[in-house]
Amino acid sequence: MPILSLANIGLTIQGHHILNGVSFDVEEGEVVGLIGPNGSGKTTLFNVLSGFLKPTEGSVTFREDDITHLIPSKRAQLGVGRVFQHFGIFREMTLEDNVRVALEAMPKELRNDMGTMEETVRATLEMATLLSHAKQKAGSLSGGQMRLLEIARTLKSGKELFLLDEPTAGVSPKMTHQVADIIGALKKEKKTVLIIEHDLPFIAQICDRVVVLDVGQVVLSGKPDEVKKSKELQEVYFGADPTT
Amino acid sequence: MDFLLHIIIMACLTLFPLLGYNIVFGKGKILHFGQEAQSLMAVYTLWVLVVQFQQPFLLALLASLLTTTMLSLLLAQLSFRLEPDGFGVMSIALHLAVLSIILNWQSVTRGALGIPRIPRGILPSSLERYALVVVLGAIAWYFFLRRLERSSFGRNLVALSEHEWHAESLGISRKKVHTIAFLLAGTGSMISAILFPPYIFLLSPLDYNFQHMIFFVMCAVAGGPGSLRGVTLAIFLIIFLREGLRFMGLPADILGPVQIMSFGLILFVAVCVRRDTLFPKQRTV
Ligand SMILES: Nc1ncnc2c1ncn2[C@@H]1O[C@H](COP(=O)(O)OP(=O)(O)O)[C@@H](O)[C@H]1O
Ligand SMILES: [Mg+2]
Repeated sequence: MPILSLANIGLTIQGHHILNGVSFDVEEGEVVGLIGPNGSGKTTLFNVLSGFLKPTEGSVTFREDDITHLIPSKRAQLGVGRVFQHFGIFREMTLEDNVRVALEAMPKELRNDMGTMEETVRATLEMATLLSHAKQKAGSLSGGQMRLLEIARTLKSGKELFLLDEPTAGVSPKMTHQVADIIGALKKEKKTVLIIEHDLPFIAQICDRVVVLDVGQVVLSGKPDEVKKSKELQEVYFGADPTT
Repeated sequence: MDFLLHIIIMACLTLFPLLGYNIVFGKGKILHFGQEAQSLMAVYTLWVLVVQFQQPFLLALLASLLTTTMLSLLLAQLSFRLEPDGFGVMSIALHLAVLSIILNWQSVTRGALGIPRIPRGILPSSLERYALVVVLGAIAWYFFLRRLERSSFGRNLVALSEHEWHAESLGISRKKVHTIAFLLAGTGSMISAILFPPYIFLLSPLDYNFQHMIFFVMCAVAGGPGSLRGVTLAIFLIIFLREGLRFMGLPADILGPVQIMSFGLILFVAVCVRRDTLFPKQRTV
């Protein structure tokens, strides 16, 4: 039984078909890479999964529940976590409040087995290696630090499915491996991860499977090394090869 | 001395709806301009029942609580359904609609004349004691709101105002948080409805016209939107200015325009100074 199931998702905004018949399943504990050229609809698909956009067609199933018509906060409480392309933290809040606000939004049952609020806030900041900045405003962090904070916060607030939108974008090369480590930690904890990324070697290294999106459609899916070698991928990224 | 007490009383009485309004507009960054509709609903339901229909005070209070809550919920609903600017215009329209009903339903509200002989009831009759009651009430309201601001409700409100999608993706329910904010604003209006008309023994619709709404916006902006301390300070300073002008003995036809012009100037300067923090652009996802 897959944890997430997309069936024939279509989205049309003002006559533009942005997503078209997108269907695939994600198994529990799987790390799936979502790749495709700029503007192919990857972020839009995440917005459909988080509930910010209603699909014009198709349905989304999360753990046997049809969540197609659920509002974003309800999906979050069921365990759908989102890490935004342009950093989803609150810059005007301190780091500890950024964590606190996420923990407080958890459903009661989960919060009860969490331990005390202060301990969990501490543990989260420690995980992001940001404990010494606890009282600082989050706006003062570097891109890499914001990303670490956001991922650690999503993990500690009891999410099961992680939608990571270009987690290494806006992160200095020096910190990229730290971000990779924390994504590795998600994998170790048997969390399910759907990750949008441009860096193909990075994807090949951490993903069990890759789904390729082009002009709002799934054109290819399979094991990372199969996809990397395939002709279709070349066509998606560089256009059709004129010699064949 | 009486002048000073009067200023303190007026400032404290304004503090109730204004700090409530500051939760919605300042902290929540919701473009709400209908606070005076809530005040009108609270104050007219209460005193029309007590004075015009001789109902027991507690019954009238209950009725007023009911109508004010309904209106607050209606405003919250509208804010969910409309775009922010659309809601801003709608909230102004709602205020003007309530005001014009009150002005025209003369058999019940006495229209523009207002309702005279509002009784003090159990409220003290001496100025000093009245001031004491109002000051204590204002302090309690201030600390109550400060506590809320530092609770998870306050954090949720700030998170939603900084970025709605980011907040909702954590599991924060915008509807719940914003509904509470509107109810708090209504509560502020309720408290002042109980205390203000008995102070001047009169309920006048002129005390709730659009100019007063602008006055609220001005205080909220000048004090730093969302800042409890800043807005409280701003109320005292601006009320001092407003009432001070009144006590200077200017003829009425000059006083009005002078007040409006000086408020306009304050609002203009405040908005200029705070234009970046007032409504920061939400980043796109
Ligand atoms: N709300 C919207 N209204 C109109 N067009 C949109 C909207 N959201 C996304 N798009 C369009 O959908 C396409 C896919 O965008 P996006 O999902 O951000 O691409 P990706 O993340 O793959 O780079 C783009 O052409 C974009 O302009
Ligand atoms: Mg994108």
